[in-house]
Amino acid sequence: MISALMISVGAVSGISAFLAILMVIADATIANYGEVKITINGDKEYEVKGGKPLLGTLMEQEIFIPSACGGRGSCGLCKVTVKEGAGQYLPTELPWISEEEQAENVRLSCQIKVKNDLSLEIPEELFNVKEFQAKIAKVRELTHDIKEVTMELVDPPEINMEPGQFVQLRIPEYELTDEPVYRAYSVASNPSDTKHVELEIRLVPNGIATTYVHNYMREGDEIIFNGPYGDFYLRETEREIIFIAGGSGMAPIKSILLSMAEKGINRRARYFFGARSKKDLFLVEEMRRLEKELPNFEFIPALSDPEEEDQWEGETGLITDVVARNMESGENTEAYLCGSPGMIDACIKVLSDKGVPDELTYFDKFG
Amino acid sequence: MKQSPQLKQVQENMRPGVLTLHGFLGTDRRDLVEILEDDEAEVRRIGTTHRAIAAKMTALRDRGKEGLGEFIKVEPNFEVRVDSVRGGIPSPFGGPGLIPKTNTTVRNTRLSREIVYTDINIHLIGEHGFYEGKGSLFRLEPHELVEILEISPEEQQTELPG
Repeated sequence: MISALMISVGAVSGISAFLAILMVIADATIANYGEVKITINGDKEYEVKGGKPLLGTLMEQEIFIPSACGGRGSCGLCKVTVKEGAGQYLPTELPWISEEEQAENVRLSCQIKVKNDLSLEIPEELFNVKEFQAKIAKVRELTHDIKEVTMELVDPPEINMEPGQFVQLRIPEYELTDEPVYRAYSVASNPSDTKHVELEIRLVPNGIATTYVHNYMREGDEIIFNGPYGDFYLRETEREIIFIAGGSGMAPIKSILLSMAEKGINRRARYFFGARSKKDLFLVEEMRRLEKELPNFEFIPALSDPEEEDQWEGETGLITDVVARNMESGENTEAYLCGSPGMIDACIKVLSDKGVPDELTYFDKFG
Repeated sequence: MKQSPQLKQVQENMRPGVLTLHGFLGTDRRDLVEILEDDEAEVRRIGTTHRAIAAKMTALRDRGKEGLGEFIKVEPNFEVRVDSVRGGIPSPFGGPGLIPKTNTTVRNTRLSREIVYTDINIHLIGEHGFYEGKGSLFRLEPHELVEILEISPEEQQTELPG
């Protein structure tokens, strides 16, 4: 009886799997969706060949939607609003889309296939995003686990961006991956140098992209990236500025500071940078030089666990404690934070307690 | 034991490119049920439970979060750092929504050994007794977890809180 039941279940499962595979093959080979029209933001129209995921179809039209997983539906970044034509939500989308987003027809562009005419809405700034070919001009060790990578642009030869924005680096096939993957990194250089883009990349245990950068990337290598993305940039106000970062969170803050120095933006600004010990600190001399160029700027490095040989006389403790100790009222202050989600969440609470309005706390979470 | 249709579907979810680029099985050719049974036997041989291992992983992860992205000392002889990258991963077994891409690095300074695990490792071990297939980038060996995390005989009988 039991064996007959198992045979039946097995047979049904086998047939279902066979039919599913058959449908996938048929969809990929027989189905012909022909030319379809994609309308973006009501006024831009594109004739495209149907049948591929929307993310890749848009990429072919040189419209780049941010995606950190290369279209596998595992980062949830490539959201677009599809007004018409996308059909029902797929099970692979639903974990990423909130009920509010469902009500607004937000979809994961890597998961939905272009089968008929579509009407989309995407942020206008994404039309400024391009794909760039570049050469690795320099790789420099900043700490035992952070490297600075300078890319020299080849085609197009220049990039226009705001300080604080990020790009997506294309990691080619190598020992750990048999297909290219994309990962997002904040730009550390001053955007006025339109011919170069500098990144600061911390080695993540088992990370495909960071392992490539730390162990395989060589000066002279060709690399592809796309960008710029993001709304983490300095707002034009007269408020005091609090910057807080840790580790490779240094990158966008440094870009903003370099830009401030060049433009002569001399607002009162304090930069709290957290590290564990002296060997995790970097670019201190560059920050001291910026202090001279920006008389109202102060760099405050803090070590959470200095070693004896560090002979550290600066601030100690977790960055949240250091900020709380050094900050008075935050009413006339705006804050810019970059780091791990845990660090950012903890800092937001401290800033809020100090009176910094939540809407004036801007952050770039790694997570 | 024969692999059930449900486990067969879970094993499909674990293949490269379905939920993650590399999947969860590495170079392991065994059926999922065999992988689970072999690790179950190993955990029994050590004298502990999957939930006890996951409980210690969770406790160290939670202490490590207090370091706000940097290594923090955790008594008696650990250094723990918790990093995050963008995004999350659904469990190949289905539920409980997206699990954040969080890496916990635990250094045992007494043994001079280090182990790295993710939030999805904690979920898969605690809820399903799955340590990933051999050759997977994120495969964890039960005996290494017990040794490096120094799971004591008392802790070995611990259940996950709440």
